[in-house]
Amino acid sequence: MTPPAGPQHPTTPEASTSGSDARPYEALVAGPATASVRGVAQMAMFAALVGVLGQPFAIPLIGGVPVTLQTLGVMLAGAILGPWRGAGSMLLLHALVAAGLPLLSQGSGGLGVYAGPTAGFALGWIPAAFVIGLITQWRWPLAWWRTGLGVTLGGIGVIYLCGIPVMAHQLGLTLTQAAFASAGFLPGDAAKAVIAVGITHALIRAYPAPFTWARRR
Amino acid sequence: MAAAIMPLHRPGTSLLHRTGVGTKFLLVFLFALAVSLQRENVWVVLGAWALVLLGHLAAGVGVTGLLRRLWGLRWILIILTVPQLIFLDPQTTALNVSRVVAVIMVAGLFTLTTRTTDIMTAFDRALRPLGRCGVDTSRISLALSLTIRSVPVILAFSSQIQEALRARGRRVTPKALVMPLLVMSLRHAEETAEALAARGVR
Repeated sequence: MTPPAGPQHPTTPEASTSGSDARPYEALVAGPATASVRGVAQMAMFAALVGVLGQPFAIPLIGGVPVTLQTLGVMLAGAILGPWRGAGSMLLLHALVAAGLPLLSQGSGGLGVYAGPTAGFALGWIPAAFVIGLITQWRWPLAWWRTGLGVTLGGIGVIYLCGIPVMAHQLGLTLTQAAFASAGFLPGDAAKAVIAVGITHALIRAYPAPFTWARRR
Repeated sequence: MAAAIMPLHRPGTSLLHRTGVGTKFLLVFLFALAVSLQRENVWVVLGAWALVLLGHLAAGVGVTGLLRRLWGLRWILIILTVPQLIFLDPQTTALNVSRVVAVIMVAGLFTLTTRTTDIMTAFDRALRPLGRCGVDTSRISLALSLTIRSVPVILAFSSQIQEALRARGRRVTPKALVMPLLVMSLRHAEETAEALAARGVR
């Protein structure tokens, strides 16, 4: 956030004594939010966002087929917040799901999720967000190809790598059979990866403030 | 109107409700472990289902509650059954599916009979050793409660955007929904951070 400079900008007397900062009065008294507080707020927000994207009424129909946008949310968490905050937000989400909030797809949640066949896919979001953030935000400015590589390797590769063995174990299938069984979700995930790249790069123009990890390096 | 997200907990005073969070968690964990170690045994699966039935009766949700929870698992049931029917024979499929569903139902009993706030308190207690290693555990509690607080806010954003799209006669596509949702939510996170800073949270 860059404070607009200029003496012609009318400010409160308190504000004008401390320079040309146009922040609200309270923020000036307490000082701006530290990076740590901002990080906590962003992680909490993204955890909630991925939870909301799984709810039945937030799911758009595409050609009559309901599409859950949660993995799109995971891809965006990594690409926008970077590896640590991205993985942290997914950890927060899982803590709350385990505590009994229905924040996974179709309003499922609770400990039962972790006993089910899709537990590996859901838990894979944590390393996935980390890998996506690491690759996507390797350098500033972000490159299209790097974002694409990040969401594909992390958002599809890592998630399937975590999900397929758990599914195979739960169903008593071999790894190859389980991989075949989950291949049906691949077209949808590929489409989400394309959308995630588009949204990430649109966001850099619309609201570049959150991409702090890439810029710090 | 944004629909609210209801916790999966069902209030009550049964024995299962009164058992401590840690004890219950350990019991569910041991149960899941035992069933997965004895996965080929028909009697273990039958015993697990007896436990599911008894547990639901003891929790006071009755057979209707049990059936309602099974209906809630219908998507999982499809994901479980279809690939197995392709690769395995029907008997093995039936045994596998009933075993996994029994474990899901028992784990669900934990969620059904434990208040979310109690689980959060248990989290805090479990995190205490981390605090001695220099981790700021109050940060983690803050993040958890901020997430719970953010869910209804983002739900409201989501329905606001969908209404606006419909009012303009546009279809609700993933990009049309997620892009504004993201900007609104990130702005909200920034406002939250500033509000926290104004209250002296560093």
